[in-house]
Amino acid sequence: MKKINYQELVDSEQALQKRSIFWDPVIYEEELKQIFNRCWLFLGHESQLPQTGDFIRTYMGEDDVIVVRGKDKVIRAFLNACTHRGNKVCQAEGGNTRSFTCSYHGWSYNTEGELAGVPLEKEIYDNLDRERFGLVPVARVESYKGLLFGCFSEDAPSLVEYLGDIAWYIDVVTDSAKGGLEVIGTPYRTEIPGNWKLPVENAIGDGYHVAWAHAGAMSVVGALGHGRSDNVLGISANNTNVDQSAAIEVVMNTHTILTTLDGQSGYALYDHPEPVLAHLEENRPRVIEKLGELRGKQLYGSETHIGVFPNLQIIQGLNFIRIIHPKGPGKFEVWTYGMCEREMPEETKEVIHNHVRQTFGPAGLLEGDDGDFVEAITHSAAGYATRQMKGFLGMGMGRKVPWDGPGEASPGLVNEACQRGFYDQWRRSMEATNAHEIIGQTAPGVLREIRHG
Amino acid sequence: MANTELKTAPAIAATKVSFEQEWAIHQFLSLEARVLDEERYTDWLALLTEDIRYQIPVPLTTYRRNRASTTALKPLFIIDDGLPGLKQRAAREATGLVWLNDPATRHLRIINNIEVEVTEVPDEFLVRSKFLLYRGRREKDIVNHPGWREDILRLTPEGLRIAKRTVHLLERVIIDKNLNMFF
Repeated sequence: MKKINYQELVDSEQALQKRSIFWDPVIYEEELKQIFNRCWLFLGHESQLPQTGDFIRTYMGEDDVIVVRGKDKVIRAFLNACTHRGNKVCQAEGGNTRSFTCSYHGWSYNTEGELAGVPLEKEIYDNLDRERFGLVPVARVESYKGLLFGCFSEDAPSLVEYLGDIAWYIDVVTDSAKGGLEVIGTPYRTEIPGNWKLPVENAIGDGYHVAWAHAGAMSVVGALGHGRSDNVLGISANNTNVDQSAAIEVVMNTHTILTTLDGQSGYALYDHPEPVLAHLEENRPRVIEKLGELRGKQLYGSETHIGVFPNLQIIQGLNFIRIIHPKGPGKFEVWTYGMCEREMPEETKEVIHNHVRQTFGPAGLLEGDDGDFVEAITHSAAGYATRQMKGFLGMGMGRKVPWDGPGEASPGLVNEACQRGFYDQWRRSMEATNAHEIIGQTAPGVLREIRHG
Repeated sequence: MANTELKTAPAIAATKVSFEQEWAIHQFLSLEARVLDEERYTDWLALLTEDIRYQIPVPLTTYRRNRASTTALKPLFIIDDGLPGLKQRAAREATGLVWLNDPATRHLRIINNIEVEVTEVPDEFLVRSKFLLYRGRREKDIVNHPGWREDILRLTPEGLRIAKRTVHLLERVIIDKNLNMFF
């Protein structure tokens, strides 16, 4: 096979990405191996598995995975494939069980993944070594403050090492939450005919499209729709002007974050944000005490999009966790979980859940706009000539802004710094020869040393 | 109210609705479907009561023994709107700024298997129907959503109005870029 030239596919100096990366099945196969078989991937949240025997199903790349809390309370993850012939041993999306039984011949596994039952075993096998035939475990499963991740690579860096500096930002979501973070135990799921990378970089970094692509929705929801303000997230009505001092995009070694810095505009798109804003201010002194002024005042409550490479977005404000599961080069599934603070008043939680449904659920007022162009970008690359074109993400290149948190900050929400960071990380992962090389080297300067709170 | 379904198969609704009333309900649902097909959202909103509740639950894929909130899995709604929420969806369509609907999306709704029952509330009918919503857009972006609905229709001085609608889709994973249409 001809060696793929990733420097040509993603040209960081010129901020160009060849469009074949959204279409080429050879590149997609490499992604499954280089990225989804090596990176730490989000599995779910511990609040989804409170009891022994509770399980959920998810995907790691295209691998079907069961995540289950065993009798010893330990959460494990297994490939959803019978070790006899490979049929799925679980067809439910979640629930509570004592065992997973294959519907083909009845092999049965306990919640610790051990082969527990083989029909007619004594009559048909001589000394079947059951220990050899337990469910195949996901090599590593770790939790970061309740957020569960799995990794297929035995020799990968630890989850904390993998997250690196982005953990400082994730803490704003996990540590601020009164009583801990809580997710709705079931995600919205939608299948879209597009390449998986496009919705990821759209969510983590594309502030430019907000007022234009979503113009219809923006004029009927939240601050603009209700006349509370003449701008939202620093962008004026009708997309005529933008306040670039109102936000930053920060690129770290592996991951990215975009945030509005004002401590409250995360809720600008809510029709009735009052209960959430009241909760923020009530909880804020606690957050400042715990995380310091910078995070407590400027990040908590801001619209903040945390991009954990490759396919997880934690979005504070709109308040959902989103995973993009690849389903072939031209298809992906979006999973959206609402998230809230466990000890928020029930009616405040309700405001958040309603908002997630109304904006980015499968019938969300903003959701459908994105699916349309993500599909078109992918499918136009079917054309040989179009596929030779390169996308351009040069906005805000070279613009820096002082920032006391980790990572390199670039000014403004309308900036393509995070998207460039994503494709740089994509290239690094595709060129990596082992799981450690996936993590980027420390950014220039002493940013890693800068820690607040 | 007496159980309107026989305990043994086949279940047949013991309707107490007059033939004339039932026919009016059939005509109402056909009219409503056409109003939506024609993107006349203001007219459609006029067919709803002020206190309407419009819901689309997600059909969770759970084992039969795990049904009905016996686990940590919570029920989830794709839409759970009152009149203000539905008005907001319609208002978005009316902005002229929804690029995905220009060129215009083509809708066709087929409503069938209509069953009408009286309820304990005078002038309210429980109406079940099956639907197929066919949507065509752009060159060949074609989506079909089959499902069934459970409505409460109320007879008001202005005529029949929808007081409650629950839309049951059969898809767990929505195979569509967006359900920005009314069922």
